[in-house]
Amino acid sequence: MEGPSSKGVLGQLSQLEVQARSRRKPPQPRSRVDGLKAEAEALTMRREQLKAEIQTHASLQKLRMSLDKQSTHEEEEEKMDEDSETSQILQLMARHAQLTDLLHAHHLIGGYDIIKTRNSKGVCVSMATAYEGVYLDTYNLEVDLKPTLRIGRHNIPPFIPLDSIAEQGNMQTDIRAFLDSLSRHLNAFAGRKQQLKIVKEQHKSVEVMESNVLCSILVLMFTVPRVKTIVLCTLDYSDHTRCLPTRVCFECEDKELLDSPEWKKNCSLLTETPVHKALTTMTKMGNIL
Amino acid sequence: MNEENMVEEKVLQAQIERLQAEVAELQCRQQDDQKDMTFHFRGEMQDALSYVCGQRQAGVKEEEVVSKLEAEVEQLEEDLKRQTQMNGVSLTSCTTKTLRRTSRKCVQEFSVSGHCFDLDFQVEFQISEFKQGQRSERTISNLNVVIDAGDLQCLGSFLSGVEESSDLLLLFRTLRTFSDRCDDRCRTFQHFQEKYPSIVSLPGGHRSEVMTLNHPELPGCVLLIHWSVEVSREGGVTPKINLLTKIPERALQLFPSQPVGGAAEAFQSLLRILGPEAAVESLIRAVGLSQDTDVTSEQR
Repeated sequence: MEGPSSKGVLGQLSQLEVQARSRRKPPQPRSRVDGLKAEAEALTMRREQLKAEIQTHASLQKLRMSLDKQSTHEEEEEKMDEDSETSQILQLMARHAQLTDLLHAHHLIGGYDIIKTRNSKGVCVSMATAYEGVYLDTYNLEVDLKPTLRIGRHNIPPFIPLDSIAEQGNMQTDIRAFLDSLSRHLNAFAGRKQQLKIVKEQHKSVEVMESNVLCSILVLMFTVPRVKTIVLCTLDYSDHTRCLPTRVCFECEDKELLDSPEWKKNCSLLTETPVHKALTTMTKMGNIL
Repeated sequence: MNEENMVEEKVLQAQIERLQAEVAELQCRQQDDQKDMTFHFRGEMQDALSYVCGQRQAGVKEEEVVSKLEAEVEQLEEDLKRQTQMNGVSLTSCTTKTLRRTSRKCVQEFSVSGHCFDLDFQVEFQISEFKQGQRSERTISNLNVVIDAGDLQCLGSFLSGVEESSDLLLLFRTLRTFSDRCDDRCRTFQHFQEKYPSIVSLPGGHRSEVMTLNHPELPGCVLLIHWSVEVSREGGVTPKINLLTKIPERALQLFPSQPVGGAAEAFQSLLRILGPEAAVESLIRAVGLSQDTDVTSEQR
């Protein structure tokens, strides 16, 4: 009972306060006008600022386009007349933006991001991996350049044979060949891992019986529809720089089944297409559940 | 007095409303502009922008802003040079458009052009970034590749596969290896042309797949070395070197014993044993010397 009545009292009081305030207002009319004036002024400044920014953006865009044109058609090195009019600062800004974008593009296309280490004795290399358009893990390694090339700290998984890749790639003379080879190994590993992930997510009726950390061996269990025959499938990825198996092997009690043209076809399908895609096709064809 | 104030207030309020509308419109325009070409204003760029747009802080001089920006641009130039050298890919232009942007998702369209040795390319693709808590997932889609090069047959099926699976990274790894192998061939061809100018000729230029060997005194007999670089659909790059012979019928009739028929297979085993450079060199020697003795014996 007390609640609403006390609220009513408080409500009335606050109303009185508002009335008193509004009565007090007229004596200080200037402050309201001043406030409005200040607001208008602030808005005018904001407007001018935006206009200036838009104009700068437009001229930067124009400069940027002519820079891009220059770099794609290097023979046309003659600079346009308008360039001389634009200030040095705008030119620098346009070049800055262009360089930032180009560096970003290098990063996007999977270029090795090279950063000099602080003691400037070596470099830190980042290597991106991706499979079918999805960016996956990034790996980093420090390479000392002096006195001889030496791999320092890194986060490359231990089952990637870093040392033998370094030896094969003749790292001392050709660091890029080494990085290319390492990147192929890492991307193939990332690809196989991603394939396995997709198989587990999208093919619930296919059972993954066995796999290893390098994802170089994969044993799957299929069920043939209707007859419910079980087929074991072993995929052997012995070339660790590839995402496709080098050997596909089926095991089944029903020998005739494996000799059938469909299963011969399945075998070549699994050798030629990534496993998750091959399984989709096999399911569609009604060969497996 | 009050009346006056009221009028002034009204005028001001109208002015404020007008200004607010104008500011909103300009903000819209700025956002649209940013979509067409995205600039990132951070660090020195932000300072430079503020300076250019008139927010001149007391004591900030143009030279100071310029020199700071210049230093940063120089640093970036150096980074780009290192990146280009390391990646074997030289990029000449990259433009970005923002197609959609919400708090969790951002879709941007990129157009990148450049070259990898003498292979000019232009690629377009979209990158979508989804944010899920701490993690963010980036995916590539709508990959479109245009490559300007003479011999594209070898890249055809690979390129269509890459476009289908949007495998941007694989595209550049393969392009680089492909260019490296083509460069190997080019250097080998050039080396032999310089070393044996009377025997070796490169009818299609040093970038072509064919090198011809013939003895200057036997214009009818030609050995062709066809060195192609093949790219599989999954991006494997393998050089293929074959020997083709072009010898007039009459010569074959006159010298049936000449080991011409089995030359192609014999060359393959030579390749396996010696590797491409040494195998080609021994072939050149064979053409140069043995033909020489044949010619002299015929003249007698």
